[in-house]
Amino acid sequence: MAMLEFANVSFSHGPKSFMDQLSFSVSEGELLGLMGPNGSGKSTILKLAAGLLSPKGGKVLVGRQMIGSYSGRERAKLVTYLPQQLDLQAPFRVGELVRMGKYPHDGSPGLTVEDALQIVGLHRKVKTRLAELSGGELRRAYIAMTLVQGARILLLDEPLASLDIKYQFDLYRLLKDIVREKGVSVIMSLHDIGMGAMLDRLILIRNGRIVSEGNPDEVITDEIVRQTYGLNDFADAYLASNRSLCRALALPG
Amino acid sequence: MKRADGSTFIIAALCVLSLCIIVVSVASGPRLLNPFILDSETCRTLLAIRLPRTAVALLMGGALGASGTILQGIFRNPMADPYILGISSGASLAASLGLMFGISLFTLSVPILAFIGAIATGAAVIILGHGWKGLQPERLLLAGVGIGFFLSALLMLVMTISVDDGLKRAILWMSGDLSMVDWELLPEGLILILSGLGLALTRRRGLNALTLGDDIAYSLGFNPARERLFLFIAASLMTAASVAMGGVVGFIGLVVPHVVRRHVGSDAAVVLPLSVVAGGTLLCLADAIGRTVAAPLELPAGVIAALIGSPYFIFLLGQGKTH
Repeated sequence: MAMLEFANVSFSHGPKSFMDQLSFSVSEGELLGLMGPNGSGKSTILKLAAGLLSPKGGKVLVGRQMIGSYSGRERAKLVTYLPQQLDLQAPFRVGELVRMGKYPHDGSPGLTVEDALQIVGLHRKVKTRLAELSGGELRRAYIAMTLVQGARILLLDEPLASLDIKYQFDLYRLLKDIVREKGVSVIMSLHDIGMGAMLDRLILIRNGRIVSEGNPDEVITDEIVRQTYGLNDFADAYLASNRSLCRALALPG
Repeated sequence: MKRADGSTFIIAALCVLSLCIIVVSVASGPRLLNPFILDSETCRTLLAIRLPRTAVALLMGGALGASGTILQGIFRNPMADPYILGISSGASLAASLGLMFGISLFTLSVPILAFIGAIATGAAVIILGHGWKGLQPERLLLAGVGIGFFLSALLMLVMTISVDDGLKRAILWMSGDLSMVDWELLPEGLILILSGLGLALTRRRGLNALTLGDDIAYSLGFNPARERLFLFIAASLMTAASVAMGGVVGFIGLVVPHVVRRHVGSDAAVVLPLSVVAGGTLLCLADAIGRTVAAPLELPAGVIAALIGSPYFIFLLGQGKTH
């Protein structure tokens, strides 16, 4: 079942058309990656899906309804978006942040704060200030907030940026668990070809258009990647090293 | 909501401290009173001078503390305080014009002029801060700073060309001098401050969410521009009421939220009411010291509050404990 659907979506920054007739869908319990060069439209797609931007044409459907038709609270129970830059200086403690996930709910949310913190491995840092967390821990704290929020679609803008390899894999495992156990659909933008190869599905974008879509093995071919990113020298060496790194760190399942 | 360990004790200790300081404030002055032994003269002094002054100090300090908490949240800027709005400058200009030139608009008193100046400035900041995406923090901040500078320059101009004794009264008023306050404006001030605080408390979740940024606030189901507008109006009402009641008091709006967050965390549901208590208590204490320490000379409460609070704030900065 499609949780999120882009149906012929067009978008423009000012008078210039940037995205034209973009269509794709995301299933329940799917971990989808958006890849492409800087400025290709990955963040725009995520913001359109979150309802932060409105399409110029076409429809962004969440659960068969247009995202703009939901009230703020209803929308927050279905979709949540985490930007690339999370505020490290926000004056909250981990527990205070995660509790904010309850805001859209009148009664009890799907997951307790304690359970969410346990899942992301921050249960011993409830009272730690956000400013004292590492980049990976901060990302996990915000994800715990979204787990309490109980949204069915998690939109992450470059969540792996600025994380070292260990934190990248920790976050990947966490997202994979959430997708499998909770049936949440995760859509994330990323640049790392090796990490992209481990997702359920990839969409490769350039200039607001889908260049390739499907299983990572089908999408990450040397030719497609070289064309999409405009790579020339060192492309073979780069792709080969990325693949061997991922094979070395290969995760079960 | 469960509070962090020790917070309950801190909240209780602050309330007890606040009550003690209220009693001290009522008792202290050029003549020491025992508020528990009431003769007719003591009653007169209490009702005419000490009680209104203490009440105004509590309300003003509380309003400024809560305004600072709101503004630091909606601007996501730890340096934001009621002055950043330009509201104090608007109130100062209007009040100073009244004090120095004896302006009387339909028999409006100086506090009323100050209130009109504050509200008019707040409205101008809101209009200028409104971009195509609604009320944006950067635009709002720039509008507040820009209007504040302009009005301050006008104020300096007015003070430069003024020669009469209204100048000294204007300077005292701008230093947070509470020696002229009475019951007159207290009911209106109380209503405005309670309205602003009530509005802010109903938006406490939005305030927390806005502190994380507009995208996250939106993701949590809020309309960031609408929340910011309501919270800005709440802060403007409280600041305007405070300035109108007793003049310009700096520092409290900037520092009190930092100190409170340092001790009880940052949830607005706790920080807002505690900023009211802490801000009110600090100004009450400052006023009590100001009218006692060099009696019969009175030192402005705003000056004393800054002298008491600044060293503690600098200590916190040195410890890296402010947010």
